[in-house]
Amino acid sequence: MDDPPTSSDTSEVSNQDSTTSTPRWVKVFGILAVVVALLFVVMLLAGGGRHGPSRHRVSDSGVYR
Amino acid sequence: MMMTPHVRKLALTAHVISSVGWVGAVAVFLAHAVLGVTSQDVQMVRAVYLVMEPAAWLVLVPLAFASLLTGVVQSLGTTWGLFRHYWVVFKLLINVFATIVLLMYTQTLGYLADVAAQTTLSSDDLGLLRTPSVVIHSVLALLVLLVATTLAVYKPRGLTPYGRRKQHEQRTMSQE
Repeated sequence: MDDPPTSSDTSEVSNQDSTTSTPRWVKVFGILAVVVALLFVVMLLAGGGRHGPSRHRVSDSGVYR
Repeated sequence: MMMTPHVRKLALTAHVISSVGWVGAVAVFLAHAVLGVTSQDVQMVRAVYLVMEPAAWLVLVPLAFASLLTGVVQSLGTTWGLFRHYWVVFKLLINVFATIVLLMYTQTLGYLADVAAQTTLSSDDLGLLRTPSVVIHSVLALLVLLVATTLAVYKPRGLTPYGRRKQHEQRTMSQE
């Protein structure tokens, strides 16, 4: 967060914002956000619904989970 | 409600300090985590995990909430708004997501600290303490926080549909 735009900045930015559709960077970030959210949910489900110590216990074979 | 310039500067200063402080604290955590994985000194490995848990509660968690709170105050008290610009929305999402993961991960840090505090450590315990989990989480946290910082500095253009609607309303009001 930074200083808000001045009135001249606002009109300049706003004119460009209002004439364009959703910017490409927003689409890229949106896709990345969905992928990260899905990965997070999958990892949560794989860990039994929690992100706790059980995920880091050593299995009988000596392999870290 | 718009903030006065003095209050806005104060809120901005608090937000920058807490947010950048959070990034710095995660970097220190990463250094500790690397030490925990690579050090050959068992006492050093123990010390790393014994320090991490209280440091998470006393430094990381307060900074995360301070960053979130000051960010919300800063956006609502200025013309940026909380949901008008995509970069502000993404910063908010990153902050909330990182805070949730941090709170969940304190369980793991607590568990590792308990293992490190044991009088004797078996080879399994030591192997557990050398888990790369903390390194991985610290790197990912650093990455998302740096993305948020970059968004805050560059402020890429893009109004949300709500932002466009608000902008249209303000233009209509100013023309009347």
